[in-house]
Amino acid sequence: MSDSAAVPAPRQYRATLREAGRQLRGLLRHRSIRVGGVLFGSVVLVAILADLIAPFDPNKNDFRAMLAAPDALHPFGTDAFGRDILSRVIHGTRLSLLVGLLVVVATGVLGTVIGTMTGYVRWLDGPVMRVMDGLMAFPGVLLAIALAAALGPSVVNAALALTITFTPRTARIVRGSVLVVREMPYIEAARACGAPHRRIILRHILPNALPPLIVQMTFVFSVSILAEAVLSFMGVGPPPPTPSLGNIIAEGRAYIQEAPWVALTPGVAIALSVLGLNIIGDGLRDSLDPRLRNL
Amino acid sequence: MHRFILSRLLSAIPVLFVVSLVTFLIMWLVPGDVASQIAGPDASAEELAAIRDRLRLDRPMYEQALVWYANLFQGDLGQSYLLNRSVVDAVLERLPVTLSLTAMSLLLAILFGVVLGVVSATNHNNWIDQATMTGALLGLSLPDFWFGLVLIFFFAVELGWFPTGGYVPFTEDPAGWLRSMALPACTLALTQMGVIARMVRSGMLEQLGQDYVRTAKAKGLPRRLVLFKHALRNALIPVITLIGVMTGILLGGAVVIEVVYSLPGVGRLIIGAIQNRDYPIVQGGLLLTAAVFVFVNIAVDILYTVIDPRVRNVR
Amino acid sequence: MKSCHESRRPTPLRRLLIAAAALAGIAAAPAGAQTEGGELVLAQGANPPSLDAMTSSSESARNINMNIFESLVTIDENVNPIPMLAKSIEASDDLMTYVFPLREGVKFHNGDEMTAADVKASLERYREFGATRGMLDKVAEIEITGEYEITFRMSEATPTFIEGFASPRAPAVIIPEEEAAKGANEIEIIGTGPYRFVEFVPDSHVTLEKFADYTANEDFDGPTGFGGNKTAYLDKATYRIIPEAGARIAALEAGEVQWADQLPVPAAKRLMSDPEVTVFEARQWAFLTLIMNWKLPPTDDIDFRRAVLYAIEPEEVMAIATEGFYDLNHGWQYPDRTYNAGDIGKEIYQVADIDKAKEFLGQSSYDGEEFQILTDPNYGEHSRAAVVIAEQLKGIGINAVVKQLDWATVLKIRLTDEDWNGWTLMQGLEPFLGPYGIAAKMTGEQPHQRGTDPVLDDGYNRLITGATVEDRQQAFADIQTAVYDLVPQIKIGDVGRMQAGSARLKGFKPFRAPRLNDVWLE
Repeated sequence: MSDSAAVPAPRQYRATLREAGRQLRGLLRHRSIRVGGVLFGSVVLVAILADLIAPFDPNKNDFRAMLAAPDALHPFGTDAFGRDILSRVIHGTRLSLLVGLLVVVATGVLGTVIGTMTGYVRWLDGPVMRVMDGLMAFPGVLLAIALAAALGPSVVNAALALTITFTPRTARIVRGSVLVVREMPYIEAARACGAPHRRIILRHILPNALPPLIVQMTFVFSVSILAEAVLSFMGVGPPPPTPSLGNIIAEGRAYIQEAPWVALTPGVAIALSVLGLNIIGDGLRDSLDPRLRNL
Repeated sequence: MHRFILSRLLSAIPVLFVVSLVTFLIMWLVPGDVASQIAGPDASAEELAAIRDRLRLDRPMYEQALVWYANLFQGDLGQSYLLNRSVVDAVLERLPVTLSLTAMSLLLAILFGVVLGVVSATNHNNWIDQATMTGALLGLSLPDFWFGLVLIFFFAVELGWFPTGGYVPFTEDPAGWLRSMALPACTLALTQMGVIARMVRSGMLEQLGQDYVRTAKAKGLPRRLVLFKHALRNALIPVITLIGVMTGILLGGAVVIEVVYSLPGVGRLIIGAIQNRDYPIVQGGLLLTAAVFVFVNIAVDILYTVIDPRVRNVR
Repeated sequence: MKSCHESRRPTPLRRLLIAAAALAGIAAAPAGAQTEGGELVLAQGANPPSLDAMTSSSESARNINMNIFESLVTIDENVNPIPMLAKSIEASDDLMTYVFPLREGVKFHNGDEMTAADVKASLERYREFGATRGMLDKVAEIEITGEYEITFRMSEATPTFIEGFASPRAPAVIIPEEEAAKGANEIEIIGTGPYRFVEFVPDSHVTLEKFADYTANEDFDGPTGFGGNKTAYLDKATYRIIPEAGARIAALEAGEVQWADQLPVPAAKRLMSDPEVTVFEARQWAFLTLIMNWKLPPTDDIDFRRAVLYAIEPEEVMAIATEGFYDLNHGWQYPDRTYNAGDIGKEIYQVADIDKAKEFLGQSSYDGEEFQILTDPNYGEHSRAAVVIAEQLKGIGINAVVKQLDWATVLKIRLTDEDWNGWTLMQGLEPFLGPYGIAAKMTGEQPHQRGTDPVLDDGYNRLITGATVEDRQQAFADIQTAVYDLVPQIKIGDVGRMQAGSARLKGFKPFRAPRLNDVWLE
């Protein structure tokens, strides 16, 4: 498996595609990826089917059943509004995954563009990377909290704040791979043949930056889910009554003794999603890029 | 070597400059200002305008920024609008809390991380290894603020072993300080402990497969000596680089933990200042926190170069 | 009490000797049972924004400051004005002059004796930096008329002047002359109260200690309200700042604090069965209200506002917003108070009338615009009320959205005509102090609802200048009628506040701020 991460020769593009397919099948045989896949897959399934499987409307108030203990009707009890915790956690999981996905896509695109540009265009490298270093010098969560507070509470703004926070490291990783590939003889050859930059970047450079990027993206996904919960917990995430997992914990912390189910249940949901992603990430790291195993 | 240290130190300047610029940008985006916090919810428009004028909040952002940079060159980070003290004093007052929290959790994370990593590596592929590594992975996956609530619930409320929050200065009562720091430090250490355990394990496994270890074993050196003197020592080198990165993660994570445990640290200072629009504190606090992070990383770089001179040439 | 309106009516000759009122409502304390000494640790949720008492009207500052500072006039247990540092209040018959003879021998925490010069300097400073400086607007001149006497010359007679002047909102406290020369938030914290300031570590604690040379007010038999004859038993008091409600409860249960404020109701109810803890139920702590913005569609339309009024089911909102500790009350005064206007509006308030609401909605020009409910996360009641109201309004086809922003942003936005239609707000001190503060927010230059109406303006005018209590009661009844017609604000209900203390804490009675005097630890 480890050889597959090596640099493909320029004219074997189609072969590379076949190789990718073979790799994918190989990946699926990896034990961690299967275990994590099943775990995370079920979380995703719950999120997609939220409307069908949630027993109640997550925003339906019932002041006659405030902070009701778990029973047959509400298996995880109700919150201070009398809303069904299970339904809120199911919908909250969907929201967390949505934020995570938004951040992964945005970070992936931005990180790739910035990483490639700085790695490939030498005069951009210095100034842009100084900005990235500056952003990375903020203690992680603090920057996200400050940005989210500045942008105002909403799902999109939370995703935006996290994207700005996580893009620099992603860009740095992509740039690292680009720098390695750029010096390869066949790139020089391609350049000598007059291949346009766009083609060199798309065909030769990016495919090699992909494995570490994929590993980084699973990492960003899991960290985003955790960070979204932190933003909500600090009151700068999606506004109420949005059932975000962090919101539910934040609302439940005042009743941790009288109604522990409110704050505890969403924590478990977060842990399951993140655990699934982390196991997948481990598997991917193993199979795609053994050099990254230590990180 | 001196040149290397100097160049690393100089590289901090543009980074911190970017930090301060980004902070200005954030504050420029934030709606509302400190005037309504000072005057209270009943203030009239004129009262608010008078406060804004006094604090120069009505000047354009670039002008405020220029004044701020001019003062910075004289070593002055300004006065807090609300706390009745200078920014430097406000941060220095809080720094012991955040630093002891960060340092203690780093210590715990390294200590337990290394032990777990070694245990795991020496029991490679049996159930102990599996259990330890699953535990480490779970630790990485728990939201730390939530785990903090769970710890408070069990160890402070139910069992009453530790206080539920609050800070006791070391100088006042060392035992009380330790008790007040125990739960927050454990909460914060949890995630990083998992990271270190995993790293030490894979590092040791790698070392155990190397020729020199086999040679040592073949020479009949005791297993323990081989493990600890050779394999562990080499596996620990990458952990040192990690300290730099972790300081950043812990300083950030400390913010939320300080809120959960009511600790008067720098993180809560900055969060409170963001909420109250106390711009000088936000500006100075973020700059100083970033500076701590940057300089720790530089120190780690230098340390790493001393330990492993090969790195210097690669850079 | 921001602005007082012209009064042409001749005021009947009167002489106010309010010291007599002090006989009413004195908190009875059994003599000889008190324990001296000890440290009381109190838990509150937020930092005091400032300990410069004049400049801040925040509750977290008042909780501390009312024990450090005293003012010329304050309120008693029944919210009537009483003299505190003044010996008495002597008003001229035409209400154009007030003479305040001062108590002699009152010591500041720095050891100096309080004289008329300190009083004048403090009040002049209040005119400049006082958060509610409007209450001195009608005072033309503050004169020193003796070493222990100060005289106010008014520009206009205002029957309700003393009530405003006694307000503890941002109290007009007396500080030493040399401190009064300093700017806002630049003073040393020096007052005349029974406790003196020791240290403030933001986000951690504020420490006070007993002021050994405190000069008690012998004119009274015992403590009352924020005044009376106060005695300090505790040696030391520490206010710990614990934002997390759960952490405040845990600290109380662990015995780390002996008094905690703003407890979640479910926790308070659980604590009631704990023999180690005394729970203090402060009913009628605040009005929960929904304020309307008359300047932004759709709430610029009176029929739309009426639709909202009729669509709200107060019981559900109150039950959820207050976690079950509330009183349903349609009135804009508490039931047992002088200015309570009876059943006006009760029928509209009691239950939601969906048909009527839909009828009004049909008459209005509403076309599916967003009804933006402004709220903040700092007060759980605000945010929960906004969520429930939004759900109820969706039921009659109003596109209601909750707009939760942090407190600083909310305070900025609500002063504009844009970006909000409704705003959930607890009004605590205004109804506590009587009708004036409530009515003032519906008129004048900065009404909560952003617009004005002659009916409300006239009602307020008569309320402020009415010569007799009956005149003023009628004025307030007219205001309440107008509120249920024009809908500047919607009354949701009365909110209670849960506080709790250790069973060792004796003598404590909930008031607008915890009083350190006349409480002790057994």
